[in-house]
Parts: sequence; structure tokens; C-alpha cells
Amino acid sequence: MTGTDVRDGTQDPGPGGYAAARLRLLTEGARSGPPRRAALAELTDDWLAGLFDAVAAETADGRPAPGVSLVAVGGYGRGELSPRSDLDLLLLHDGGDLGAVAALADRLWYPVWDLGLALDHSVRTPAEARKTAGDDLKVQLGLLDARHLAGDAALTAGLRTAVLADWRNQAVRRLPELQELSAERAARQGELRYLLEPDLKEARGGLRDATALRAVAASWLADAPREGLADARRRLLDARDALHLTTGRATDRLALQEQDQVAAALDLLDADALLRQVYEAARVISYASDVTWREVGRVIRSRAVRPRLREKARERSDFLRRAVAGDWRGALDGGKPAAERSPLAEGVVEQDGEVVLARTARPERDPVLPLRAAAAAAQAGLPLSLYAVRRLAATARPLPTPWPAEAREQLVTLLGSGRPTVDVWEALEAEGVITRLLPDWERVRCRPQRNAVHVWTVDRHLIETAVRASELTRRVGRPDLLLVAALLHDIGKGWPGDHSVTGETIARDVAGRIGFDRADAAVLAGLVRHHLLLVETATRRDLDDPATVRAVAEAVGTQSTLELLHALTEADALATGPAAWSSWRGSLVAELVRRVSAVLAGDVPDGPEAAAAPTAEHERLAVEAWRTGGPVLALRPQPGEALGDPSGEPEPLGVELLIAVPDQPGVLPSVAGLLAVHRLTVRTAELRSLELPGVVDDGAVLLLNWRVAAEYGSLPQAARLRADLGRALDGSLDIAGRLAERDAAYPRRRGVVAPPPRVRVAPAASRHATVIEVRAQDAPGLLFRLGRALEDAKVRVRSAHVSTLGANAVDAFYVTGPAGDPLPGEEAASVARRLEEALQA
Amino acid sequence: MKLITAVVKPHRLDEIKEALQAFGVHGLTVTEASGYGRQRGHTEVYRGAEYTVDLVPKIRIEVLAEDDDAEQLIEVVVKAARTGKIGDGKVWSLPVDTAVRVRTGERGPDAL
Repeated sequence: MTGTDVRDGTQDPGPGGYAAARLRLLTEGARSGPPRRAALAELTDDWLAGLFDAVAAETADGRPAPGVSLVAVGGYGRGELSPRSDLDLLLLHDGGDLGAVAALADRLWYPVWDLGLALDHSVRTPAEARKTAGDDLKVQLGLLDARHLAGDAALTAGLRTAVLADWRNQAVRRLPELQELSAERAARQGELRYLLEPDLKEARGGLRDATALRAVAASWLADAPREGLADARRRLLDARDALHLTTGRATDRLALQEQDQVAAALDLLDADALLRQVYEAARVISYASDVTWREVGRVIRSRAVRPRLREKARERSDFLRRAVAGDWRGALDGGKPAAERSPLAEGVVEQDGEVVLARTARPERDPVLPLRAAAAAAQAGLPLSLYAVRRLAATARPLPTPWPAEAREQLVTLLGSGRPTVDVWEALEAEGVITRLLPDWERVRCRPQRNAVHVWTVDRHLIETAVRASELTRRVGRPDLLLVAALLHDIGKGWPGDHSVTGETIARDVAGRIGFDRADAAVLAGLVRHHLLLVETATRRDLDDPATVRAVAEAVGTQSTLELLHALTEADALATGPAAWSSWRGSLVAELVRRVSAVLAGDVPDGPEAAAAPTAEHERLAVEAWRTGGPVLALRPQPGEALGDPSGEPEPLGVELLIAVPDQPGVLPSVAGLLAVHRLTVRTAELRSLELPGVVDDGAVLLLNWRVAAEYGSLPQAARLRADLGRALDGSLDIAGRLAERDAAYPRRRGVVAPPPRVRVAPAASRHATVIEVRAQDAPGLLFRLGRALEDAKVRVRSAHVSTLGANAVDAFYVTGPAGDPLPGEEAASVARRLEEALQA
Repeated sequence: MKLITAVVKPHRLDEIKEALQAFGVHGLTVTEASGYGRQRGHTEVYRGAEYTVDLVPKIRIEVLAEDDDAEQLIEVVVKAARTGKIGDGKVWSLPVDTAVRVRTGERGPDAL
């Protein structure tokens, strides 16, 4: 330290000194928020300019040397200083007298260090600064906010202009780098809005992301949706200021033990209020980031891709693709416009890597559209476009109560899509669509949990549980109940009292509103009520005590509920945090489930084999089929709204299709394939063989009772279906060929990685037939493939029970050998294996 | 000083904790563990599939005690852990050279 330092007033303890002024500003509390950050920056500006000028005054002419300037960069460049922020400083020089520059640097940096402030410093020529920025993205970002403090203003202005021009020129190359950097950081730090101890700066949706958005805007390539962005940033900065003052350290992590004090410093009610505010802000920023980066990607792609020659096959299918997507104009003028649209669901198309609404979509008349669009996006693993979500939020009609079956099915599909569900849910949530669909969601939104085991907020934990549950759907007979229970299991956390108890009531109510029947609603309510039962009992009670096992069996009631509760328990624990699940816990829970299952084994549920007696219409069709020797078919549209079920329970999805065919090989694959060719999705199917009274020879007729829905648009004519079915059965219509052709011309997007199919022989389910259970991801032609595999295995399908729950197919086939007896164990296992292979192909 | 280690059935944890607290023990460490003793593995049938359980879930409790208290403490743990059935577990003790409380640097019995 030299004697000259005394003159600059750094060490002056009096009111004039920087240190004292700084202390006053930070402790007196007269100002806070943006004014205080600006005042602190201004105070620091004056001090540093004073230091710079004092050195200049010692030179011969007493004027600052030309060719040297002091520049603030980064956060300080933006004129915002938090109490413990670094000072980011650049001493810019033109490469003249290096000795003098070094001496000047010493005279500037030492006083800063002596005050104990963190300093991030560099000494560079403009050319060096640009080169470093070119090599290091972080330097580049800092320089974008360069601000002149003292010295040669022209030198600073020149650097600013050059740096901004470089950034714009290189945006196409460097923005993807920045995106990658942000993504890496997000993977490392997690997502601010869901973390219970978030890092305000580094986590996704934090201050760094807000800075990255500024950088994108500075590139002139794209801009962020601005609503609420500035305010969100301000809130995070305010919280960080309070955190710095509370801890006295330059930390950005809002640790649990600090949250109460920080909340008090910000005049907030409590730590929960603080976190909620922080989460809301982070949500705005991370959502703006998502939208902005997608826009950047689109702009960069559109610049990179030159008009290319289309392959012939693509061209041929283009007309159809556009026509189905409702883009008639595009279809008719030969598909020149750049944006390619391919249909995903009724009223929903994919365009340029995003899910948007079809031109024909009418959200104001189609209340299921938000859920359908969301489910289609999640299944395709694509984001929902911002404009689509906004339009849905603004114009979609509320769903009636109870929801129509399609809405419930789409919700189940959305929840069962695995990882992509999170982003789609988030997009709907950001525009308030979720709260409108499920008003009870409001109480758990952004709700922190004071619990060392949990890492997520309640809402994210619920979605995370659904994601985990979607991996376990093959283990249960009712994947739809599992997924909805996952979504609702902690819904009671928004209310005082035991959340399992309050949650039970809410879940029952929600289940009824979203269209589950009373029995299913009771199961859902029970799952929510007992979602902690298995893990608590398994780890704390004596499993050898028959009373323990009996109590659980009584609470659970049935095998199928036990199976659901087991899967829910595992999904819940996996979604809680790394400490909540281990093989240790898993084995204890499995042991309990095994014992409870043994107790419940006595109550075998009614087999689905006990089918109702055929109705008059069934018999009429069967007789006609037998008389004509060909297929007979009846398509019954949904009854009018006025004729709704008197029980008040909603009509199931789709229309009823009855088919009677004289028993012959290949009926199941032919019918299933035909429906797939006509783009009809199978919701449920029952197949059984009917012995006609009064017919002496083997006049069995197969009766197929289907519930089908059109994938797009309207249903085909019954007469056409009947004619095609005749041709399919006599072999003149090549269904496999038609399906393969269509798949080739119009490949399906498979975004979701579904859990692998599971086929097993149900033990001791029937005395008369072997029961083969199939659980798989629903797909066009799935039943056709299954039917063909059964046909190839030379077994007779006595009856089949097929249902589609969301995107999951749950089927049971009752099969016998050619002589009508159940298959021997070995053969049954081999048939199951063949089916599984057919599904994996 | 002695280190007392107990490997016992998971559901006895609450009782053992309460008993130790009543005895005046201020701190203990609990770990989830798996293992087997004299009963070895056994075969179970679950969902139609046979499998061998060779490692049974247990918890491992560790307590530091002064030499004079060790015997009594072992008795307390054994009493609280006992169900009388196979697989109740084991309790043992080892001599400990030294112990340091990290925050204050206190050593020996003062650190307990």
C-alpha cells in the first residue's frame, strides 16, 4: 500500500467515504429493491471514477490519458448491484503504454480488494476483448452489458458497437452454444420453481436464464414473451438482495434455515409466501426461455435449410397429409408453403416440431380440445406451441360436469405419456388451463413442502408421480386409475389436517367430476386415503403378525386395489426424492404386499367370462349371419344427450359396433385390421361365441361387440364396412398390405418411450380356457397383430375382452386348443411368448 | 467407551429409540441394512414365481456409550428388540479408543 491511497478517500471512515456510504445504504433500509441496486451501482460508479481520475490527475497534463477506459460489465454493467455482488470490471486500453496501464490497474484493483469486495477483473485491448469473447461465451455475455465508467468514452463505445455487431453476426453459431450451456446448467442445478432449496441464480428459471434471454434479444434473432418478465426478474433480485443481507455472504442458494429471515426482510408473511413468489417468478422466466429457445431453433433452421427436392413418395402422401390436417389450401396448391403440418389427433397437428391447432379446429365448440391437444403433444414427445395454448386458454369452453368420456381418456393419456408430460402440463399450467380443468389444483400449485425427504413442490411431485406411475402401468389391470391416483394422491396437502384424509374427499369429488363411475371413484378415493399405508406398515409394523396383514387387507379390500396401491406407493416414493425409496424399502413393501395378497386370494373377483345373456338384437344379428353365411353388422351412434344414462354416469367414448360372423378362422384379425384400415380406434371389444338354439350342425356364430371411435373426422358408412369385411374374410382384401402401405406413406411419430408390453398367462383364472393377459401401449393395428399372432399359434379364441384406457391397452383372451380344452402349461407359455414377440416387432 | 451395534427387525426401531431415550441416550445412528443370520435364506412364492430371499431387510443401530453404561444399554436394546421369533437380530459391543465432537473439539466421554 502506498501513501497515495490515502488521498482517494477509500479508507476514510467519515461520511464521505465509499465504504461508509455503502454501509449506510445497505443497513438503513430507507431504500430497497431496484432503487437500492441502482443507488449502490451509482455510488460504486462514482467511487471507481474518482479512483481512475485521481490517477490521471498525477500525469503530466492532469488529464486522463487517451486510450484507456474503465468499463463495467455483467451485472454491474446493467447497473444492478446486490449487496454481495461481484464487481465485474474491464480496464480497456489501446495497447499504448503497457507499464502505465499496469500501474493504473494496481491503483484501481487494490482499493477494491482492500474493502473486501469480490472483484472480477481483466485488462484488455478491444481486439483482445473481442477475441476472448469469441472463445468464451461467458465473457461475451458479460460484454453485451458493457457500460462506460471513466476514461476514454470513445474507446468504450467502439468496443460496445463491435461486440454487439459480432454477437449479431455470429448469432446462428453462438446461440445454440448458449442454449447448450443453459441446458447443462439446468441439468446440474435443477428447476428453480420446484426445488425446496433453490439456487436463485443458477437453477433453471433463475437469474442466469433471465440474462440469457437478454442476450437472445440482443442478437435480434428472436425475442422472449415479455409479459411479467421484468417483474419476475425483479422479484428474484429482491430475494437475492435479502439473502445476501441476511447471510452476509455472496450466496444464491435459498437454504431452508434462511428462508424465514429472508421472508421477514421482504415483508412477506412467511417462508411459504416467499417460496411461492420465487416459484411464480421462476415459472415466468423458464417458460419464456422455453418459448424463446424454440423460436431461436426455428429461425436458425429456416435460415439453414435450403428448399430441397422432395422424395416422390413423400409428395404423393402430401396431399392426404394436408387434407387430413385441414389444410385444404395447402393441399390443393401442391404443398409449396414451407410449414409442413401433419395430423396428430382431431383438430391437432404438428408443425415445425411443435404441436399447434389445425386450421379446422374450433376450441370454442370443442371443450375437449385442450386435453386432446395436450395428450397428443405429450404422446408425440413434442412441445405445445405457445400460441395454441393461449388460444385454448382464451377460447375453449369449460367442460361439462361430469366430463365426457373422451376428456377423461385424454387426461389419462396425457398423464401416461412419461417424461414429456411434465413440459406439456407446465405449458397448460402457465396459461391457467389446468386450474380451470381441475380447480383443486390451485391449492397445491407452487406449494413448498417442509420436509427433508421431498425435493419437489407439491404440484411437481404429483406430476412426477404420474410420470413414475406411467412406467408401472403394465403391472396393474387399471392403468387409468393408477395414473389419476398418482395425480391426486397429495391433493389434500393444500388443506389443513391429515392430507390423506382431506385428499380422500377431494379425490372422490374430482373423480366424479372427471367422469369416473361411482365404483372407480371409490377406488380412487381409497388409493388416496391409503397411499402411505403400505410403506408405513412395511417399515414400522411386524409383518409376521397376522393382525398387521389383516388390517391392511381390510383397508385395501381387493386384489386389484392392492396391485394399484403397490404401484402407487412405488411411484410416489420414487417421485419424492432419492432418500424415499431403496431396494431395502422396496423389499419390505413387496413382502407386505405378498402377505396381504395371500389373505385376499380367497376373494376371487367375478371372472369376466360370466357374460350377460345375448340381447334380442344380438340374436337377430346372429341368426341373420348364420342364414346369409356372411358377416352382419350394425353401427349404433351414441344416443342423444337427452337420453343419457339415468344413473348420471357419462356415456362411454365412441360408438357401438356389433358384428356377427359365422365362426371361421381369422375373424378377430380381419375385423381388427379392417377397423385399423378405416382409422377407427378400438376402445373396448368383446368377442364371444354364440350357439344358436334350434340349429343342429356346428352353427356357432361369433358375436363381436365393439366400441370404436374415429381417429379423425366422421365414421365410415356401415354398408362400406360390411362389404370390406366380407372381402377381408374371403381373402380378397389384403389388410396386412394395406396397413403396411399406410404406415410407410405416413409414418407415425413415436415420441413416447412406452414401457415394454407384457403378456402373461393368468394363473387359475378359468377352468374352461387358458387366459392370456396382454398389457401394452395402444397403437393402430395392435389388435390386428395380436389376432394374427393368436391365429398363427393355432389356438381358438373363445372370448376376448379388450379395453383401452388412455394410451394403454389391457386385454384378456380366453383361448383353447383345437379340441376346446385349456392349453397345457408349456404351450400356454409359448403362446404368450409369441404374442409378446408379435407386439415387440 | 464402547460402540454398541444392534442389527434388528425394522419395525422395532420406534420401541428401541424410545427405550434408549428413556435410558438417557442422546444420539444414535440408524442405517438401513440387509443380511441374514442363522435362519439363512428361505424360499417364497410371489405372484406365481418362486424366488429365494437370501437377504432380509434389517436396521442397524449404533450407539456410543461409556464403559459403565454399556452392559445395561445392551440389555435395554435387547429387551426392546425382542419379539421371540426367528430373525430378531443381534447386539454387540466394541471398545472405542476415542471420540471427538466435531463442533467443539471435546474428546472422550465429554463428546458423547
